[in-house]
Parts: sequence; C-alpha cells; structure tokens
Amino acid sequence: MTREELFAILPLLVLTAGIVLLMLQVSFHRGHRAALVTTLAILAATLWACFSVGAALPTSGTVAATGLFSVDHTALFFCVLMVMAALAVAILAFHHLESRGASRAVGSYPEEFYILLLLVILGACCLVTASHFASLFLSLELMGLALYPLLGFTVVGDQSPQRDQLLSLESAMKYLLLSALSTALSLFGIALVFAASGALDFSAAAAALRSTGPSAGILTAGLTLLLIGVAFKLSLVPFHIWTPDVYQGAPTPVTTLIATVSKGAVVALTLRFFTQVDLFSLPVLSTMLAVMAAASMLVGNLLALQQGNVKRLLAYSSIAHIGYLIVAFLIGASAFGQEAVIYYLVAYVLTTTGAFAVVSLVADAAQPSIPGGPQPIGNAGEDPFQVEFYRGLFWRSPGLACCFGLMLLSLAGIPLTIGFIGKFYVFAAGVQGQMWLLLAAVVIGSALGLYYYLRLLLTMLQRDSESRDLEPGAIQVAVSGQVLVGTLTAILLLFGIFPQLLINWINAL
Amino acid sequence: MTLAAIIAVLFLGGVAAWLVERYRPGASRWATLASLVVSLVLLAQLWASATPGSAHHWWQSLEVAWIPRFGISFFLAVDGLGFLMLALTLFMGLFGLVMTWSDIRFRRGFFYFNYLWTLAGVVGVFTALDLFLFFFFWEVMLIPMLMLIAVWGHEERTFAAIKFFIFTQASSLLMLIAIVALVYIHFNASGQVTFNYLELLDAQLSPVSAWWLMLGFFVAFAVKLPAVPLHTWLPDAHTQAPTAGSILLAAILLKTGAYGLLRFTLPLFPDASIQFAPVAMAIGAISVVYGAILAFAQRDMKRLVAYSSVSHMGFVLLGLYALNTVAIQGAVMQMVAHGLSTAALFAIVGALQHRLHTRNMEQMGGLWTELPRLSAIALFFAVASLGLPGLGNFVAEFLVLLGSFGVDHWITAFAALGMVGAALYALAMMQRAFFGESRRTTTAADQKGLVDLDLRETLAMLVLAAFLVFLGLRPQPVFDTAAPAIARSLAPVTAVEAAVTSNSTDRPTTAANWPAATHRGETP
Repeated sequence: MTREELFAILPLLVLTAGIVLLMLQVSFHRGHRAALVTTLAILAATLWACFSVGAALPTSGTVAATGLFSVDHTALFFCVLMVMAALAVAILAFHHLESRGASRAVGSYPEEFYILLLLVILGACCLVTASHFASLFLSLELMGLALYPLLGFTVVGDQSPQRDQLLSLESAMKYLLLSALSTALSLFGIALVFAASGALDFSAAAAALRSTGPSAGILTAGLTLLLIGVAFKLSLVPFHIWTPDVYQGAPTPVTTLIATVSKGAVVALTLRFFTQVDLFSLPVLSTMLAVMAAASMLVGNLLALQQGNVKRLLAYSSIAHIGYLIVAFLIGASAFGQEAVIYYLVAYVLTTTGAFAVVSLVADAAQPSIPGGPQPIGNAGEDPFQVEFYRGLFWRSPGLACCFGLMLLSLAGIPLTIGFIGKFYVFAAGVQGQMWLLLAAVVIGSALGLYYYLRLLLTMLQRDSESRDLEPGAIQVAVSGQVLVGTLTAILLLFGIFPQLLINWINAL
Repeated sequence: MTLAAIIAVLFLGGVAAWLVERYRPGASRWATLASLVVSLVLLAQLWASATPGSAHHWWQSLEVAWIPRFGISFFLAVDGLGFLMLALTLFMGLFGLVMTWSDIRFRRGFFYFNYLWTLAGVVGVFTALDLFLFFFFWEVMLIPMLMLIAVWGHEERTFAAIKFFIFTQASSLLMLIAIVALVYIHFNASGQVTFNYLELLDAQLSPVSAWWLMLGFFVAFAVKLPAVPLHTWLPDAHTQAPTAGSILLAAILLKTGAYGLLRFTLPLFPDASIQFAPVAMAIGAISVVYGAILAFAQRDMKRLVAYSSVSHMGFVLLGLYALNTVAIQGAVMQMVAHGLSTAALFAIVGALQHRLHTRNMEQMGGLWTELPRLSAIALFFAVASLGLPGLGNFVAEFLVLLGSFGVDHWITAFAALGMVGAALYALAMMQRAFFGESRRTTTAADQKGLVDLDLRETLAMLVLAAFLVFLGLRPQPVFDTAAPAIARSLAPVTAVEAAVTSNSTDRPTTAANWPAATHRGETP
C-alpha cells in the first residue's frame, strides 16, 4: 500500500482506531457520559478525515486503495451522511439509555452500545467504498453482526420493562435469522458471479459481463441472487416481512440506525455496483427492481394505513420510500439519475432520522410513567409508541410537535421541506425514463401515504381538551434532544427552500 | 417588487399574528387586519401604476433565479386577470376577517397565522409564472387550509380535512408529472431546462403527449374547481370548515382551479383543449345541473350553499371551454361574482349557526321576524345567487350561456336548466329558513332572544352587496381589465382554430361571429 492509498482510507482508519480507543477507555473507566463524549469525538474526527481526504483526492477523483476499496467523492459524501446520522443516533441513544436507568442500574453496560454503533458505522463506510466482492461481503457482515446485539440491547439494562426486553429480543432474533438467509443468498450469488467471471472485483465482473453479453445464465443468476440479498437489506417487497417487527421491537435509536445508516449504505453500494458493472444494461435486473419498487410503494403504503403503532407506521412508510427511491435509481446510469438518488437518499435519511428522533425522545420522556412487566400496555393513550399518545401534542409541546409535523410533511412530500424536492427528483427521473406505470404507482402510493401522515399530524392537532392549562402535560425533552431535533428541522427547511445548495454539492461530486 | 411585497406582508403578518397573541389576547386580529390593509394598499398602488394599453402585457414582473439547476426562477407577474383575482383574494380575506371577528376563541393567534398563510399561498398562485413556483404555492396554500378545517372545523372536521387534502394533493401530483413532462419535452426540443411559463408556451408537443399533459393539468384544476365526478371533497370541506375557512375556500380557493385552466391549460395545450372542449363543456353543464339538484335536496344550509358552488362553478367550466371571448369574459365575471355572493352566503350561514347552534333548516323557519336585517341581506344574496338581472351573477351566467350557445346548443340548453334549479334551491332556502312558522325548539339558553347582525357585520355585507350591484349594472371595467389576458390566453387556441378552418372552409364559425365584448363607445 502506498502512502496515498493509506491516506485515502483515513476515515476508515480513524473509525477503527476510535473503536479500539473506546474499548480501552471502557475497560479502564466505565462511564456513560464519557463514552458518549469519546464517541462524538471519534465521529467528528471521522468527519474531518472525510473532508480532508475529499480535498486531497487527485483530479481523476478516484483512489483505488488495494483491490478492495476505491475512494471517490461520492463514497466520501455517503460516509459523511452516515457519520452525521450516527451522531444523531449517539445522542438519541444516550437519552434512551439514561431514561432507562443505564447509569444507576447494576449490571447494565451502556458503553457497549457506542462500540457497537461505531462498528456499524465502520461497516457502512467500508460498504460505500467497497469495490470488491470480498470487501462488500465483509462490510455487510460487519454491519449485520454489530446490529444483532444492538437490536437486542434492551436486555442488558435490568431497568427496562420486561415488555421491551421481549420485543427487543424478538426483533434481534428475527433480524438474525432472516439476515442470515439473505447473506447466504448473496454469498451464493457472489459464488455464481465468480464462477462465471473468474474474478471477484467489480471491474473484472464488468469485463466478464461485457464479453459474454447479457445472455450468460450463470452470471445473471448470480447477480439476481445478489440483488435479492440487497432487496432484503432494503426491505423491498416481497422481502420486507422482517421490517415492521424489527423496527417496532428494537430500541428506537437502533431503529433509526437500521432505517437510515444500514439502508443508506446499501443504496450507496448498489448504486456504485450497478454503475461500475453497468448492470443497468441487464433488463432482467431492471425489471425486477421496477416490480419490487412498485410493490413496495403500494404494499408499504397500504399496510401503513392500518398501523396504530408509530414505529410500525414509520417502518412501512420507509418501505414505501425505498420504493420511490428505486424509481430514481432505475435511471441511475445517467448523471441525473445519480443526482436524483443521492438527493432522495439525503432527504430520506434526514427525515427518517428526525421522525424517529422525535418518537424516541417522546418515549424517553414518558418512560418513568409507564408500567414495567411483560404485559403490553392496555391503554393506547399511555403507550408512547401508539398514535393515540400523540393526541393534542401540538398544544402541549408546540415546538416538538411542529418539528415532528414538518418531518411528517416532508415524508409526505409537501413543499417547503426537503422531502418535496426529493419527490420532485423522483418525478423528474420517472419522466426522463418514461416509466409511466411506476409514476402512477408513485402517485397512488403518495395519496395513500398522505392519509396516514395526515392522520398522525391531525391527531397531534386535536383539541378535545379545550382547557388552556395543558402545560403540565408538556413533554420534557432534554436540551440536547431539542437541539438535535431543531437542527434536523432547520436543515430540512433549508434544503427544502434552497435546494440549490445541496444540488451544487452533489453535482460537485 | 410590489407583488413580492404583498406575499411577504401576508407571510410575515401571519407570523406576527401568532407572536403577538401570546402577549396580548386579541391582538392577532389587529395584526391580521393591518397586514391585509397594507397588502390592499400595495395592490391599489399596483392598479395606479398600471398603464393599460401599453405594449407591455404584464403590469409588473419580478424574476429572481431560485434553483438554477432546473431553470426554476422566482418569477411573479401580474396582468389584468391576475389583478382581478388578487383583488378578490385580498378583499375576501378582509371580509372573512371582519365577519368572523369574534368567532374564534381557541388558539386565535395560530388561527390567523394559518388564515394569512393561506391567503399568501393564493396570492402566490395567482401571480406565479414559473410552473414550479406555481406548484409550490399551489401546495403551500393547502397546508394552512388543512389546519383551518382540522382544528377549528365542526363535528366531522378531521375526516373532511383529510378528504380535502388527499383529493387536491393526489390530483396535483398528476399536474406535477405533467409539468415535469412538459419541461422535459421542451428540453429535448430546445436543449434548455426551464419552468418559465412564457418559454414553455412555445413548446412543440406531439398531439398524443399534449393530450395526456393537458389531462394532467385538467384533473388538478377540475378537482379544485370542482367539476362533477371530482367534487365530493367540496361539500364536506365547506360544511366542516369554520366560517372564515368556508369563505376562503368558496370565494378564493375554488377560483384557483378556474384561473389555472384559463392561464395554463388553454394556452399551453391549445390543440388538445379544442379536442377536449366538448367533454369539458358537458362536464360543466352536468356540474351545473347536478349541483343544483343536490343543493335543493339538502337540509343542512351550509351544504346547500356548498352544492350551489358546484353548480355555479360549472358555469365557469362551461364558459372557459366554449373557447370564445364572450363566454370566457362571462366565466371571469362569474369567478368574481360567485366569490362575492357565496362568501356572503357562507357568512350568513355562519352567523346563523353562531346564533342558533344549528345549520339544519328544518329547525329554523320564521327567522325574518327575529332577525330582520340578517334575513333581508340573506334574501339579497340568495337572489343574487339565483341570477337576478341587475346583479353580477346574472351578467356572468348570461354571458356564459350566450357565448356557449353558438358552440353547442344542446349542452348550453341543458346548462340553462341550472338557472331554474338555482331559483328553486335559493328560494326554498329562503322559505324554509326565514319565512313561515318558527320550528325552533327553544331552550332556556335561547330565551334571551336572538341578536341581529351588528353594525360591523351589516356594513361588511352591504359593501359586498354594493359591489354585486355595481358589477351587475356596470360590468365593463371588469371586462376591460380581463380582456388582454383573455385575448392572450385564447390566442394560441384561435390560431389553431384558424388553421383548421382555413383547411376546411365549410366549417361554420359561429363563435367568431358573436359580438366581441369591447367598449361600444370605442367602436366607430
């Protein structure tokens, strides 16, 4: 490895060193707050590393660090996005764990959460820079392996209600089993691609594809299996079955993580993989993606209509959103397609982080008043994850509800928010690709989506209790949580009203 | 600059209203009043600075680059048509505020915030000449309107609000696709990405794509208008909205659909519009009759007024798609006159509901003796609504029928039945609510007797009535103001028609032979 190559993977090195550092720190000094501070510092250092590597990239824009990684501006942009999301997750996790007595309870080890979190981010950053099937698979697994314990993390603290522990375990088990299945499928797919092309790096696969043409059965079969593995991670219909249960059961910060970082990294990888191997020329894969996208938009939105649990609702809505994203993805061969995918992904990550952040903070604030034990909460108005809990929130906590309302409007794709620009990109991409049926699915899906977003929004606006002294019911959110949600909302509005700022950045990639 | 200033005053006024209410209960109304008056003054300034007859078509325009990546600019401009709509918007906004001065108790600041933001969005819709910006404002006006219905509405408010929003939003997504497709086709032909309306007017479209794009626009505007199969959101939304919200909806928001048809659909897709015109006229005529029949069948007074809107806006659709100057002048006049008369009717229903706590006409009756002033005013606006000669609505509907008769006798004759229906429902409403025996079940709380309209409400109503009389007796200023814009919108259509008729000389050109609505005095 040359010096340039080592420098190019500086963000990965910083993260790795940070993980070791945090582990050492925890083994000498256990402290929740200290662990958080170190984590934030490591993430900030990674951000700095991303920017300094980005500034120093050669004019060709790409540095191949060994055969495994290839660092370019796009990959670094995704790294920045993932690290930003991780910053939000770390702050949310701190509140989540604190409100469940992490520092006080005997036998709870909240510091591990941050080590696992950094491992997930390391996996995600490796994934977006991968240019080889080996690094692809390893980083996918790194992300997965770190996520399993995170999903079941509630079990560690003995202060968390047993109900949460059961759900959390369930979600971890489900994700483990189904993820193993999808891993096996993609591994088999990689093996088939290797059998057909005799190489494991993307460029060799591309060369094999060019020489054999799209008729090669084994290669196509391998790629299809790989795509199924990807669809699994992206929870595209019909590989979405795990999503609502895992989202619901997991600790909310982890839900945020899995919805944003895990999905975002896989989208980034798929975009790079499809572009480098030129898979857009394979009609089989495009058709498969189109069918899955249409199904995701329709099924995701239809199932979301029925949900009373906010986390399940957002889970189904995220299924639908990845469906919209795939519409833009399908013309990904062009520069405009790339731009559309990236913009939509930023909008999706930002909005989803914000929405789950509010859900998480609200639940944390309500935590002390919720009964423990294994039983589900009987009264829907007391369960902080039920839509009913949000009744009249706008009058009790106007700031928080405003932010949540804007997040929902952004998810619904209403102007003034970044979600609208994202939706606009999807439409523009669909028109450019002349995918009228998919666009019809987008319109139907959006109309369905409006219903449940609005229902949640209007629940917050309900004024059944007309009395003015509702203030005691206000939800007390810690200052750092307020700052986090406020910042996310500000960015959402900024890029919604002045999208050119972000477009310029994306176009400079 | 004035246009941007009007929008900014409304947006900022909304924020100010929300803030001042925190410190001084009731102050939000004054903030709202102040920002409306300031905008009206700005608008009057615009009128004064306009130089009719000059070569420049737009009275004033402002263009600032917004999203250069897509050739999107913040492009506002106003011409005669836009000015009429702006005047209607701001004036009706003021009327709604004055009429419901003391109605709102719950979270007043937030109410007026939404109220002003709706108005700001509508002003944006009427002035935007960039299709993206137009769509942007089109959506921006919906959210605060949704809040108005959902928070301050009546019993079924959540359902009505969601229905209203989903109908308009889903249809406007079709329009968004059409806009993007239009831009893309224009881009393929010219190599330039732009959302500028004036440049897109020159887009060369194949007949098939023009047809589909036209439908995309038409559906969005027809939902808003509303035209019959797509009207079902309207009775719910109008009925459940608070009085001020109903006034905004009926007087202003419905007009955005008609405005969109005239400003965008007709000139952008002239061929497809000519092809589609018979269908649209039929839809308009059906709306007229269907709305009238359903209005007659209502017991809820507010629902009756809502269905009468469907009927009246049917005339607008009919007139627009007759594709000649006379009928379109009638349609524009109808937009203004219907705005005035329906706003007044909704205000009356609101006033009644405020006093009687019911909208059910079966529980009214004999109100004239108790509320003479309110009843007399109601009678005036009811006969205005049924098209009494001498009032604005008559001029409008007469011109629409006159203009469309030459185009299609049967459809026009069918639509004229709606006038009979209008007489039926308007008079039936008067009969059931204001004449005859009182059927009220008086409770102890009502024993104090009913309070008639106070001075503020009476004055507001009388100003509206005076406007209607003026429009009925001297409609020419409105025609003159709107004429250049209409001529411009119709120019592509007449160009296509001229090309067709020069090819086949045997085609009768009845529409062209109708007298043009110019100043009689000016013609030698």
